[in-house]
Order: sequence, then C-alpha cells, then structure tokens
Amino acid sequence: MKVQKLFGTLFMLLLTTVAMSQEKTITGTVIDQTGIPLPGVNIVVEGTSNGTQTDFDGNYSITGSVGQALLFTYLGQKTERRVIGASNVIDLQMEEDAQALQEVVVIGYGNQEEKKIIQNVGIVKQEAIENLQVVSADQLLQGQSAGTQIVNASGVLGSAAVIRVRGVNSINSGSQPLIVIDGVPITDTATNTLNRGGNTGINPLSFVNPNDIESLTVLKDAGATSIYGSRGANGVILITTKKGRKGENTTVTLDVNTQFSQSTDVPDILTADEFRQFKSDVATIQNGGVTVSPEDLGLGAIGSGGTDWLGGVQRTGISQNYNLGIRGGSEKTSFFFGLDFQDTEGFIVGNDQQRAGARINIDSQVNDWLKAGMNLGVTNNRLNRVGIENNTNAPFTTAFLQSPVVRAFDDEGNFLQSGSFIPNIFARVALNTDEVKTFRVIGNAFTEISPLPGLTWRSEFGMDKLNLEEFVRNAEFNSPGGFAQQIWVSDDRWLTNQTINYTNTFNEEHTLTILAGLNYEETLRTRSNVQSTGFLTDDLRNLGSGSTPQVLNGDRFPSRLFGLFSRVSYDYGGKYLVEGSIRRDGSSRFGANNRFGYFWSAAAGWVLSEESFIEDLNFFDFLSLRASIGTVGNDRLGTFPSLGLFNAGGFGDYNGESGVVPAQRPANPDLKWEESETLDIGLKSTFLNGRINFNVAYFKKTTSDLLLNQVLPPGTGFTSISRNIGEMENKGWEFELSTVNVRTENFEWRTNFNLTTIDNKVLALNADAATDQQGRRIIDGPIQRAIEGESLNNFFLIRYIGVNPQTGDAEWLDVDGNVTTNPGSGDRVVTGSPLPDFSGGMTNTLSYKGFDLAVLMNYSYGNEVVIDGLRFADGNDAIGGIVNIRRQNLNFWRQPGDNAFLPSPNSSTFNLFNQRSSQQQLDASYLRIKNVTLGYNLPQSVLDRLGGIFSGVRFYVTGTNLLTLKADEMDGIDPEVTDDIDPLFQGESFFTAPQAKLYSFGARLTF
Amino acid sequence: MKTIKIFAFIIGLGFVFSCEDQLNVVPEDNVASNTVFGSFATINGAVVGIYSKNQSGDLNGNPQLISDFMSDNVSFVGSFTSLQDIDQFETLATNTTIDNIWLDGYELIGAANNIIVNLPDVNTEDVTGLSETDKARFVAEAKFLRALTYFRLVNLFAQPFQFNGGSNLGVPIIATPFEGGEIGEFQLERSSVNEVHAFIEQDLLDAIAALPDDNGVRAESGAAKALLSRLYLYREQWAEAADLANQVITSGEYSLANDYDFYDDNPTSSEHIFVVINTPTDGPQDESVPGSDEVYVNFYNPAPGGRGDAPFSQDLIDAFAAEPGDRRFDELSQAATDAGGNDTFFTTKYPDIINNASDGMELRITEMYLIRAEANLQNGTSIGDTPLNDINLLRDRAGLSNLGSVDLDAVALERRKELCFEGHRRMDLLRNNLNLRPGGGSESAPGANKIIFPIVDDETTNNPNITQNPGSF
Repeated sequence: MKVQKLFGTLFMLLLTTVAMSQEKTITGTVIDQTGIPLPGVNIVVEGTSNGTQTDFDGNYSITGSVGQALLFTYLGQKTERRVIGASNVIDLQMEEDAQALQEVVVIGYGNQEEKKIIQNVGIVKQEAIENLQVVSADQLLQGQSAGTQIVNASGVLGSAAVIRVRGVNSINSGSQPLIVIDGVPITDTATNTLNRGGNTGINPLSFVNPNDIESLTVLKDAGATSIYGSRGANGVILITTKKGRKGENTTVTLDVNTQFSQSTDVPDILTADEFRQFKSDVATIQNGGVTVSPEDLGLGAIGSGGTDWLGGVQRTGISQNYNLGIRGGSEKTSFFFGLDFQDTEGFIVGNDQQRAGARINIDSQVNDWLKAGMNLGVTNNRLNRVGIENNTNAPFTTAFLQSPVVRAFDDEGNFLQSGSFIPNIFARVALNTDEVKTFRVIGNAFTEISPLPGLTWRSEFGMDKLNLEEFVRNAEFNSPGGFAQQIWVSDDRWLTNQTINYTNTFNEEHTLTILAGLNYEETLRTRSNVQSTGFLTDDLRNLGSGSTPQVLNGDRFPSRLFGLFSRVSYDYGGKYLVEGSIRRDGSSRFGANNRFGYFWSAAAGWVLSEESFIEDLNFFDFLSLRASIGTVGNDRLGTFPSLGLFNAGGFGDYNGESGVVPAQRPANPDLKWEESETLDIGLKSTFLNGRINFNVAYFKKTTSDLLLNQVLPPGTGFTSISRNIGEMENKGWEFELSTVNVRTENFEWRTNFNLTTIDNKVLALNADAATDQQGRRIIDGPIQRAIEGESLNNFFLIRYIGVNPQTGDAEWLDVDGNVTTNPGSGDRVVTGSPLPDFSGGMTNTLSYKGFDLAVLMNYSYGNEVVIDGLRFADGNDAIGGIVNIRRQNLNFWRQPGDNAFLPSPNSSTFNLFNQRSSQQQLDASYLRIKNVTLGYNLPQSVLDRLGGIFSGVRFYVTGTNLLTLKADEMDGIDPEVTDDIDPLFQGESFFTAPQAKLYSFGARLTF
Repeated sequence: MKTIKIFAFIIGLGFVFSCEDQLNVVPEDNVASNTVFGSFATINGAVVGIYSKNQSGDLNGNPQLISDFMSDNVSFVGSFTSLQDIDQFETLATNTTIDNIWLDGYELIGAANNIIVNLPDVNTEDVTGLSETDKARFVAEAKFLRALTYFRLVNLFAQPFQFNGGSNLGVPIIATPFEGGEIGEFQLERSSVNEVHAFIEQDLLDAIAALPDDNGVRAESGAAKALLSRLYLYREQWAEAADLANQVITSGEYSLANDYDFYDDNPTSSEHIFVVINTPTDGPQDESVPGSDEVYVNFYNPAPGGRGDAPFSQDLIDAFAAEPGDRRFDELSQAATDAGGNDTFFTTKYPDIINNASDGMELRITEMYLIRAEANLQNGTSIGDTPLNDINLLRDRAGLSNLGSVDLDAVALERRKELCFEGHRRMDLLRNNLNLRPGGGSESAPGANKIIFPIVDDETTNNPNITQNPGSF
C-alpha cells in the first residue's frame, strides 16, 4: 500500500516536472562528511557541457531545467547525482569514497582506473609505506609486491640493492629495472664511483627522499612494460612523488626521528689467546707431539694481549632524520613542498651519510584548456665510504682476517703498523678520507592542453642531472708517500615526452582511449679520474700537491634514444576490456644495421563480477580474468657494444709514447636488442564484502637474442665477444592475498601476503659455446656455471662431505660420487642454486583505538649462498696461516671417533680443507622480520586540549631487521647478502658486511 | 579563443621533429679497429700498444715472481691462494693467476699478429710518412715481442726441452689475428716444444734481420739476439748460444754497469739490452684493473706499502752468507718483517711501492756473460773469452775476489746470485735436472706434474682440441 502511494507520488512529480520543464538557477552548498564546505567540486548538468565549480565556501550556482540531473564530482568523494526538482536549492553532503582514492593508478605514460587495469602491475600505495622508516626508497618495495625481489647488498650505507622484477632476464646486459621518477627515467651507472669491493656501486635510489613518495608502481608484464620498449625487459618501477590537493586546507607535516643502528649478526671468531692456543696445538701435533709454544710461532705468550678488531670496527650508529612536508592548494593550483635532512651514521666505523633534499611539485589549471606544472627534486648527498668487502680497506673483511694477536696501538696510543698486507684497519679508517659528494636534480615541467573534450596533449620536458665527486686521500701512515684520487662524473640526461591522449565513451557502453607519443632522450656521461702520489706531508691534501699526478680516466660516453609509441584501450561497459600497445625505439648504442626495434603488446580482460551469473552468486565483490602477451627489449649493453675498438691512453702507451691496444671485445656489427616475450595470465578477486582480496598471476617470459659476452678461446687474443646468441625462460606464479581478519569498532587487523615462484631455464646457448662432460653447453665461472637446459645460476663446486671420524681426513666426492681426499676441478658438480624456490613478504597491520602496529616480514626459501670468504676464515693455512678464523675451527680432529669440523693437523687434507668446495655453500633460506612499527596517534580530545594547533600528533617506534630465522650453519652470516649485481654472480659473497639492525623513535606532527 | 588552441596545437605538432638523425653518435675515447691502419701515428701506436701489453704484471712480474718462489730463491708467505697453490705444487686449472698469464699472453700475441699479418698489406702510398723500412721494423718489433711471449708461455706451461728432447707438448701456435669471424682456427692443438721453439727461433731470426742496432728503448737487433741466445742455452745448443751472446757483448751497444743502479728508473743504462719500462703514468694494462697492475712490486716489498709476501728464501740468504761482502746482497736487500711476521730480507730490485712502477728486468748484458761462460764451459770452447774471465768480471763488480778456476756449479751459483728475483731460477734448475727445492720431494723434482702449469680452464673449456698436462688438475 505504502509503496503504491510512493510510486504514485513519484509519477505525479515526474509529470509535473515534464510539464514545467524550464530553465532556472539552482544554488546550494556542498559540504564534506565532517561538515566543512568543499571548494572546487565539479558540477555539471548531465548530458550537457554546462558546468561549474563550488567556490571557497562550498557555494555554487548553475542553471538547469527541472528533470535534468546534476552530477557532483570531487576527487576522493563518491559522485552524487541529484535531479532538479521544484526547489531552487540543492545542498549536498558528500561521502568519502575509500575506493575512489585508490582508483587511479599511475601506469606508463598515463593513469588508469584500478579496476580497469588489465596490465600486470604491482601497486604500493601510500598507506603501505607512509609509516615505514627507511634510508632509501628501494627498501619501500621490499616484501611489498609479488614478483619484485629486493636484496639489500649489505649494511654499508649507500650500497646499491639488487632489484629484480620477475627474476633475472638477461645474462650479460644489466638486469636492474628501469626506474622512472615522475616521468623521468633516471640514470643508474654503477661505475660512476670507485669500486670498493662488492660490484654493486652506489644506490641510484638514495637520491629520492622516501618521504616524498606517494606511490610506487611496478610494471611487470609486457602489457605494462612494452610502452617502455627497449628498456622494459627488466620491468619498470614508476615512482610518483606527492602532489598537492586542490582546494584543500594546507597541511604541514613535520616528522622527526632518531635512529640507532647496529649490525645484525657477525661470525664468532677467535680471541688472541684462543688463536695462540690453536696455532700452538696444531703445530705441536704436526711436530710429532713435541710442544711448540705460541712464542715459538712468534705469536707472543698466552695472556700477552691482542686486539678485538671486529669489535673495533663496529659501533652503534646514531642518526637523525628531519622531514617537512607541506601540501595544499587553491581552487586551481596545488602544491607540495618537501624538505628533508638525514644525518645517518652506519654501524661500521667511518661510514656515514648526510643527505639534504628539497622538492617542489606544483600544478595549475590555468584555464579550462590549459594545465601547467612542474616537479622538481634536488638532493645533496655526502657519503663517507668504507670498503664493502674483499678489499683491504673494507672494515669488516679486514677485521675478520686480521690476526687477533696483532696490536693496533702502541703503549702511547699511537697506531701501529700491522706488519702484513692486512692493514691496521683502525688506522685506515681514522686517517684516510673517502668521500663521495653528489648533487642531483631530477625533475620535469609539463603543459597539458585540451583543445577538444576528451583530447589532451601533454608536453613534458625532464632532466636528470647528477654531479658526483669522489675524493680519496690516503695518509702517509697507510700509503707511504701519500695518495690522492679524485673522480668527477657528470651523468646528465634530458628528455622530452610528447603525448596525445584521447578518451571518449560512446553510447554509454563503449569507452575508447588512444594514446600516441614520442620520447627523445640524450644522455652524456663525462668522467675525469685523476690520482696523485708523492706528498711531502698529510697536510698537503689535494692532487696538485703530489709529485706524480696521473690521469686515469678522462672520457665521455654519449647515448641517445628516440621512441614513438601508441596504446589503445577499449572497454565495453567496464566488462570486456582490450588493450594494445606498440613502440618503435631507436638507439645510438646499436650499429646502423640494427638501430631500430619494434615492441608490442596485446591484452584482454573480462570482469566476471559484472556478469549476472556471477552477481547471482552473491559472493564476489569483484572478479576478473586477464591475459597479456607482448615483447620488450633490453638496451643495457654499454655505450658502443657493436664496435671493435682500440683503447688508448694508459692502456696503450709505453714509456710516454702514445699507443693503442685492442679492447677486449672485437667488433660485431650485427649486434641487436635483447628481446623478451612475455605471456601473463591473471585473476583478481574481492569477496566477503571486500574483506578478502586474492590475486594470482602466471607468467612466462622468454628472452631471445640474449646478449652474451661469449667467452672466446684465449687463442683469439680476446676475452669475449658480444653476440645475440642465447635464449632464456623465466616462468612462475605470483600470489597476493590481503585480508581483513578482524574489524570491530576499535580494533582492526589486516594481513597482506605475497608469494612468488620463479623458475629460470637457459633454453639455448651459442653453438660454439663451451661444453661440459655431458656435452651440454655452458657458461663457466669460478663458483657458478650456467648450463643449457638448466638454470642460469648453479653453484658448481666440488662436494665436500666432512671429516672422516675414523681417519681424520677431510673428504670430498669425486665426479662419480666416490669419496676422495684429493679432488680436482674435474670433480665439480651442481651443488645448489642462489635462486629461491619461492620468496615474498607478509605485512600484518593491527590498530586499536589510537595505536597501530605494523609488522613487515620477508622471506626466501630454497636458495643457497656461497661465502667465498670462508676459504680464509676456516682452516689453518689461509694467507700463510696469519689470519683469524671462526670458532668452530677449534674443533679439529684429534682421535678416531671425533666428529670434527677441521681435519687432523697431520692429515694430508689439513691444508686442502678450505679449498673452494661446497664447504663454503650454505643454506640461505630465511624469514626476516624486516620492519616493526608501533605508533600512537593522540586522540582528538587531547588535540583539542592542546589548543587545536595540531590536527594530528603521532609517536612511533620502529625496529628494522629485528629477527631473522635461518639455518644454524648461517650463524654470524647474513642470508640477505650478495656482492655483485651481475646476474652470473648472484648469491656470492666474500665478507659482505651484514644488514643493519635499526631502532628508531620519532614523532610526526600535522598542523 | 579557439584560434589560440589551434595555434598551440600546431606549434606542438611542429615540435614532433625527426630525431632519428640524432642517433648517429661515435665514440670519443677509442679508435675503431677499421681506422688503425689509416695513419702512421695509429700504426706506430698499435706497435707501442704491444709494448704496453708486455708491461702487464701478468707477463712481466708475476711469472718472474712465481719462477723464483717455485724454486729456491724466494719464500712465499703471502695470502693469495692462487699463488699459495703454485707454491705448494697444488695448482689447479682454475687458478686465476695462471689464467691471467695465459690470457694476457695470447692477447699480446693477438695484438702482435694484427701487425705481423695486416701491416705488410698496407700500401705505403695510402699512408703519409710510412716507408717499407718502417713497415719491416714494426713487423720485426711485433715478432720480437711475440717470440718473447711464446718463450714465456712454453717455459711455464710445458716441460722443458730436457724432459723429452723437446718432443713433448708445448703451447698452441696462433699466428693470425682474430677479426670476429670463425673461432675454429683459434681452437688449435698444442704444438710440441720443439715446434714452438722453432717458431720463436724464426721470429727472432726475422727480427734480427730487420731491427736496427739501436732502437732507443724499443726492441733492437741486440735484444733479439740475446733472447735467441737464451733459447739456444735452454736447448743446449752451446755453440750457437755462446756465439750469439758473444755477438751481443761485442756489439758495442751494451756494457756492464759499474754499479747496481740500473734496477729502477734507469732504462738507458748500458746494462740493459731490453727492459720493460714502467712509469707511474702508463696506466693499467688490463681493462678490469684500475691503476697500475704491476702489483708484484707489492709482493717483493715489506709493509707498509708492500705486502711482504716474497722475502728471500733461507737458502738464498745462506748462499750469500757463505761469501760475505757481496754487493748484490749488501746493496740490493733490506731487512724487514714478512707477511707471516718473521724477520727476514727483501730484495730492493723493485723499489717503487708508491706507484708500482719499477722496471721489469728482461734482458741485460750480465746474462750474456753468464750464457757465454756456461756455453763455453759446456762446449769446451772460449768463444769471446774464457769462462773464468767472464765470471771474474761479474765477481769483481760484486766486490768479490777473483776465482782461480770455474766449473759449472760456480757458474750456476754466480748466475743465481746475479739474476735472483729476475725469474731465471726455475728454468736454470729444471734444465740442469735439479730439484726446485733444496731437499725437495718428488713434487718439486724435474719432470713432476706440477712444476709446470696446467692448461687453464678458460682454454680447456673453450677449445676442444687442447690436451691437458698430465696430473690432477
């Protein structure tokens, strides 16, 4: 009855409105959910071009006819529709749309509604990272996104992380992804600084203030990356910095924190007296039982003191971080202003960093067809470097190796020479200088012109300018005569992106978006590297004061890239989606024959939850299937890879006469792009009222024309030649599950979990490649071997089985699996892999009233590492027996039945024990509590009592790398280390410094 | 309004310029291989480059160091496992130090082959300032350096001539440059020691014919004769050895220096027949190694500055102590602590620890007197002078009294004291069928498997035709 009445009334109203259809002026006020007027709300009369915006007080005025509808739209709010009725006033309270805030995702050269994305992208949103305290931006990605693996190379400040999107896709070309900051692909030349052991270079992401980052998008499948053409093969990471918000009150956020840093874990090595006793015991046994005292061995008497080198190179580093962010905007212009200062002390003596950065992002809607803006970040960095590993200037390496009986100081406290090539590291750190100063500007300026509705022409000019100076000055005590070296590098890129984007919806159901654009980039890297020796005194600091200056490098590496690209997306009612893209890239790096490459992708998606048969299930909030296929390239091959060159300068000159020598690589005019073809199939779902999100993707990526530095027979006089000869496949699964486990009024618990499996297989190597015993083609290295038909990364070592309890001999297996006490290099077999079976991360977020707790874990399973430095840290004879060793070596074989670590000192294997074998290969599976943050936000009542100055006050404590679960044999060794970003050397380490364990305490004030 | 929009759009379209011409970028700091033979300067530069390659510590430095510690002159106490393994006669084919010697050797040979094969085809009319004489001299220099390198390789990687009359396996003889084509012709079998020696002999005979008597610090005919004299000595062709040594001594180009001041930074000393000149500013010879790579200087010098890895052996100290007052010990050694913490003595023949730029001793006139004396003694001849006079000439300079007579042992002892730390000792012991170590066991005896190097892993995995040396490698 009631319903009938209602219908009747409505019907009457409708009739009335139709009858009374005439233009009139509607006014009103729009407020947000808290009752505050909303300026800048867009209001249009549906189906017309008639529109307006609310003013600062939220008021508007618009003309319309009764029966027409007004659409109210505002970013982050649900769109409202109101039909004009009899009243001339329509007031409105808008509702926040949590979905809407996340809806738009940054993709290559554009944005896309999240639910319409059929590319495979990993999105790390602001809420996932805003409470993370990290030193550099790559750590924001760790454990957050399936298919993205980040291995922090070490705890040394400034050292680069190994970033892999869907595994290693190249062998000899670079495997790091392309990093794009606000549309500017940044340079990441690893060789801009001196190699300090560990071939990882300086972290390119240490130039972005993590607090300025709004979101990160990881482009994974070809559908997403092929728009980046020749540079997309390793994946692309898009970093978007914070923008202002139009028509919002300006907010100021001040974040201050203090951080304490320590090493996670270090090996247990011998004290001076333990060392003396060990050496004496071993020598006595070898001497037929006649006592050899430590004094006889020149080690000094038991109790005569020594040095705790390892203790001396570590400290608790104290760091200060200050960060200020101001964001706001008027009706037409919005801005973000960021300022940060980090004064970071590493846990290794001599390692600290000061970074000051400023950012200004501004954009303005000049009028209804023109928008202009600029994003600019400036960073100034000063880093005091220390050696990372396998380097006598590396504090950790040297502290492990240095004999504990060696004294660091004399009785007056002056430095003493160590007496061996392993230096007094305390003196090295204290007296030498190794400082890297960098200044980097990354930014762009753009205009967006909309000449017609739906058509936008965006014109963007960007730059990435890096100025770097590294200064080394070794003191007389450490380098007789003194030594100075200075390197200047400028790595400059400028670029322009011109894109035209057209979007329109036809017949309400057909949405079409067309993008076309061009991209031109010029990069020039310039380097001067000068050293000087022969200084009268340490007070004479610089190059010019030395007697023998020498130019080591003075060179320029230009390169240019020109790309044309297009992408077309179409969807039918948001239900059926297709997308295709193509890019043509030309690069100066390639010879004229193969200068241009074409890259393409095609993708399709089906949103099943829009279908009635799924809707009828009343189970899924969202369900979609998608698939994509396409190609991308890799151009990380150096500047002139196809030319045969002769090196000049120091390489070729003799006794002051200029000469040239063949560079180690002969010409190959046919050299071309490395190309990957990716197939990607995915499912996305949301159910139980949004409480569970489950996504799964399968991918198969085949890299063909793999660029290999094919090792040549030495008789050619060359080491290798660059050839497109290989084929490799990576395939795997990615799972992402996010759940709201508990949601009550005061308590909420969310979990995000991701897991990735990657299976790597080398499909083909060149026909004339080296072969193994079984005739399979291989690429051989000292520790690893790539094998055709198997994985790229295989540890290829002699199998060590242990010390025979009866004989006291160390035993290995020969190639046939028989026990031997004298193995050779022919007995090497595949013993393990540095590639995990699966890896990923998990985040748990709990909030209770004002408290929040976030626990981020990452894990890796099924991989091994080879700690090559154990060849020195174990056994008795390394480096003539002068170096310190791990404690387990005290357990050497004495009598039959002993289960010993070290063979009998009388065994013929005693000195062979520490030869390279699987003895140095360790299980590197781990689960690490990467980050724990506990925060407390002051409640509104307290804020009010503070006089309403602050709109938010947050206190927090953060712990990083608090706990690591790992195998027992990894005691003292960090599983998350690698000493090289080269794909062929993954999972190898010498004595890489462990990760830092950090505790920080801070407050964030918003007003 | 609309016109402005259209205007802006047209400007924008006009901006879509063709960037493709911008993609032609050429290297600024290298010479492309196809332009090397285009000018006199670059041809000469490519020859200079071979000398530069010869400076590599892997060819001049490490082999000498290794030869001295494999034998009884140097006690190796250092930490590099690749060197320790050699010292303990436990060398494997994966040994990186040996690998570098092999690779650098064939790199030099490749650079020399480039000149030897390609330069004769260059038409002098096409290159301003290039004469046929220049071409012949350049080719001869390349042949000298190629011969020097093959001799080094065959001595290290093959058993000596005495082992089996030279019929045993030597090293592969590569005589053409690789230019990016088929690699099959560079995957050669090993030639016999006799074949390698014959190849070296031919190169040196060619070089003697085409090199000038005086060529500054570059190779001259005397250098080729001196090296050939050494080859004949090693092959026990006494008459030829004595004759060539005598030719060098009587050439008037060289004479014994009065003092031992020729070891560093004195390449124009009359003592030198051919010296590897290292300067602080001549850079690395290896692309992957920054700075000077004559790191062996570090081994020979104690800390600080050096590593203190390669002091005198006790046996050598004793040898000098047996006849006190020898200037070659008193003036060319220093007392210091070695890397193992022991008090001992270090040579001062390579003193430049600041820049690692000490010169490499390759061929000096003293060796010619020693060869002439030994060959004459072996052959019962007195070509040039008597062995006694030759030896007393050297003893006199060393501040020692004259001997009344000499035998082969006396010549060998004098040779050891004179040439220690210069890389001769290992071959001197082996060719005389003596154990490398005093009181040494079978592992260091002549003919033992690991007194020579294994063919390196890089070669065996990339060359199916290669034969490994006997032994477990």
